[in-house]
Amino acid sequence: MGGRKIVEVPVTLEVPVGPQHPALHEPLLLRVYAEGEEIVRVEVNTGYNHRGIEKLCEGHSFHKSVFVIGRVCGICNTVHTDCYVRALEHLLGVEPRERALFLRVLAMELERIHSHMLANAVLALNVGFENLFMSIMLDRERAMRAKEVLTGSRVMADYIVVGGVRRDLDDSKREKIARLLDALAPRLEFYKRVFEEDETVLKRTVGVGKVSRLDAIRYSLLGPVARASGVAIDARASERYDAYGELNFNVIVNSEGDVWARAMVRWDETLEAVRIARQVLEKLPSDGNPVPDERKLPRKFPAGEAYTRVEAPRGELTYYVVSDGKGPNPYRVKIRTPSFNNIVNSPFMFVGYSLADLPAILASLDPCISCMERVTVIDVEKGARRSIALRDLAGGE
Amino acid sequence: MAALVKLKPLEELFTGRSSVLPGRVVLEFKPDDVRRLFSGLIEALGPDGFFISTLSATDLPEAGRVRLDYFVVLLPEEETVVFRTYLLRDKPVIQSVHDLVPGALPGECEAYDLLGVVFEGNAHLRRGFLAPEDAVELGEYPLRKDSRV
Amino acid sequence: MAKLKLLGLSLRNLLKGPATVEYPREPVPVEPDFRGRHYADLRKCTGCSVCAIECPANAIEIVEVPSGYEVPASNRRRVYPLIDYGKCVFCYKCVAVCPFSAYVVSNEYKLAGPEKPDSGSLSLGTLSRVGGG
Repeated sequence: MGGRKIVEVPVTLEVPVGPQHPALHEPLLLRVYAEGEEIVRVEVNTGYNHRGIEKLCEGHSFHKSVFVIGRVCGICNTVHTDCYVRALEHLLGVEPRERALFLRVLAMELERIHSHMLANAVLALNVGFENLFMSIMLDRERAMRAKEVLTGSRVMADYIVVGGVRRDLDDSKREKIARLLDALAPRLEFYKRVFEEDETVLKRTVGVGKVSRLDAIRYSLLGPVARASGVAIDARASERYDAYGELNFNVIVNSEGDVWARAMVRWDETLEAVRIARQVLEKLPSDGNPVPDERKLPRKFPAGEAYTRVEAPRGELTYYVVSDGKGPNPYRVKIRTPSFNNIVNSPFMFVGYSLADLPAILASLDPCISCMERVTVIDVEKGARRSIALRDLAGGE
Repeated sequence: MAALVKLKPLEELFTGRSSVLPGRVVLEFKPDDVRRLFSGLIEALGPDGFFISTLSATDLPEAGRVRLDYFVVLLPEEETVVFRTYLLRDKPVIQSVHDLVPGALPGECEAYDLLGVVFEGNAHLRRGFLAPEDAVELGEYPLRKDSRV
Repeated sequence: MAKLKLLGLSLRNLLKGPATVEYPREPVPVEPDFRGRHYADLRKCTGCSVCAIECPANAIEIVEVPSGYEVPASNRRRVYPLIDYGKCVFCYKCVAVCPFSAYVVSNEYKLAGPEKPDSGSLSLGTLSRVGGG
């Protein structure tokens, strides 16, 4: 036999500029070089969906930019606005009321719940367990409904402004959210057990995509990906921003570092988020109106720089805002989303695993994909091309 | 900032000190020292003692400089320290550290594509990493203040 | 164990019928304060244009009130904000910054249709006609 057959698999993942995570690289091009079934190299190509938000913010006033920032990512919009608004509040020296801080935490934790459910549902879909995917999405509706009760919209919260939040929570709404969480919690426990006990899930995820603790740190991996490899970083615990200083919660860490560990970290964090949300509902202080008057927001921003960090569902999200004190617009807004680190640094994770493991590993990084495109297999020897749907690679249908 | 004492062995590299809200220490260093700084960090703290969280480049046309900020998180305290350096705007060149600290790769690629900072030794730098094709064709660096996008 | 339970869940779901809301045959349940269609009540609007300035999506255009409508005296320039619902992102910034609280909100979300929707007819509908217009 002559040379070896090298299979070049360009996988283009396309995401619409919609309520998904578009801060970077979607569509994403992963050039996978495989010998037979084993992946030997991966190259990540990015840049298809760059919307120039950082430049756009320089053209808008600080307050208008709050709404632009909320639309960087649909599934993490609350944490983006929270991070940016906190940077502005540092620049201005404004401290919102306690009640507003607690309500912000509530919005962010509800978002964490529905984001993690989505991430694990997509993982289930990628390992071929469509039934589980559908069931999780059905229960996820409760989290979306709770967010709608709180903020006025299921996905795009537009809830946080400089000085507080935009809506208050009255008792009937509080009851509603509490009841939705009560209905959701046992379902989450059930899904966690499915991931722990179901053989099909275990076979596809245990031992796959292992990342050692040292690699996780050196490659600046963040969020559940890092925590599943034993790196105990959580911006909520270190920064104690908003009302996190007054709430009890645990930082969930696993040591296995494989796809299964990441899924388990996400389930545990979801359950933890429910606990935090319940604490917020109980401890909600009544120290006045959490809604600032948006007509009287300060226009003049003093010169300064602020760097804020927040724990988005995907990891540590940072904002670096520079104000030159001369106008109503920011001088520089630098956004570093967690998937930026996780995905661009990810190629090393795929090496040594089979092609069929690729979707599972990619989904465990939680890159917010909405629709997957076809995979083209190039047989170098014969020069022929075949198209396989990524679903078939995953063994879905 | 209890973790700052860990940086004492590297003190000679720092030419200035300031701060960024809320209370994060900024340590300035000369651009030529960037590799010494990061290999010194690896030596003093261990390869698992820190990670590069963010690499931010800011265009300062009035001062004729480009400011580079390396936001590094020290572990296990999870405290953020900012390492700041200034490059000449007409020739923003600095050595890459991505072989020492692989986590610097995305930040370096982004700073190159959006602002034109060249990181010597980084073979992965390319235009079009983030910027759209028409900006690349015009040779524009979108985040520069005089860019036409 | 979990597999059997999941099987049970699937069977129950099969018998219960689809979970999907068959929109548009059935209405989608929304909260009463869902951010839906909004428009300016021109009896309170003075044409100050703050809403148009503050809109992050540039969806509000200040246009002239056509002749034949009676406009309050506070609205000297006889203008009103016209919201283009196609551009609007329903962030409700306009609602929040209006100095006269002139915006009427609703949780109406059924905005898709063959014509380009804007708030013109709703806003002008708040004014009374005058003369032969």
